[in-house]
Amino acid sequence: MARHLLTDFELMLVVAILRIGDDAYGVQIAREIEETSGRKVLLGAAYAALDRLERNRLVSSSVGAPTAERGGRARRFFRVTPCGIRAAQDTQQALVALWRGVPQLKETRT
Amino acid sequence: MSDRSVPRALAWLERILPDDGPLVGDLLEEFERRQSYAWLWWQVLGAMATRAFGAPGDIRPLRLVDDQPVEAMVRTHRWRARCRPVNLSASPISDVGGIGLLLLTAHLSVTVPGAWVALLVAMIAGVGLGAVLVLLGSRSTPPRSIQAHMRAG
Repeated sequence: MARHLLTDFELMLVVAILRIGDDAYGVQIAREIEETSGRKVLLGAAYAALDRLERNRLVSSSVGAPTAERGGRARRFFRVTPCGIRAAQDTQQALVALWRGVPQLKETRT
Repeated sequence: MSDRSVPRALAWLERILPDDGPLVGDLLEEFERRQSYAWLWWQVLGAMATRAFGAPGDIRPLRLVDDQPVEAMVRTHRWRARCRPVNLSASPISDVGGIGLLLLTAHLSVTVPGAWVALLVAMIAGVGLGAVLVLLGSRSTPPRSIQAHMRAG
């Protein structure tokens, strides 16, 4: 049986969208990742990864209404699909399985 | 940098990436909060580099196959049985044994003519070893699970 595994950045994006909820758009997602993980996010790279996830039907997106504060440009809201949630779970299980039994990592676990 | 750098940078990005209105809007919104030209240019150049060097047709995410299908194992076994290589030369490296033997023969002919007997024995032993390898290769049998599948197919 084939299963989807996400890259580390894709996993961060998916989890960040799930944490934010319905209002997840580019800036919010980038802020969530930066504040929780400390990783600097290039919005262009985030959009490229989100496009890739959407092509694989792991996330879906919809465009909102244009706003003045964005110079008349609309926000693009993202949601995680059931397939995306399953892919995140599979990736988490794979990482935990790799993690398990490594004494060097066990010492640093909090 | 002047204030005009902001719209210029974003207009530049928008001209290059006309379908990325939400990205440009996000950059403008976040720039209003951060007020950092360095951040904005880093983001603009990063977005361009991502689009320029990224592979839009790449297949992601990775698909891991848990088990190899039995049919694939059968095909692999048949292919290996058909293409079993047998090294009949005296060298463990394929395609160089013949050249090595030729050079050794020429060298012995000049320096030690008496060693021809040893070389002849080695050649006969090599042919014998090759024959044994060929016989062993033709008699190799696949694992029982594959045998059962081959019988069923």
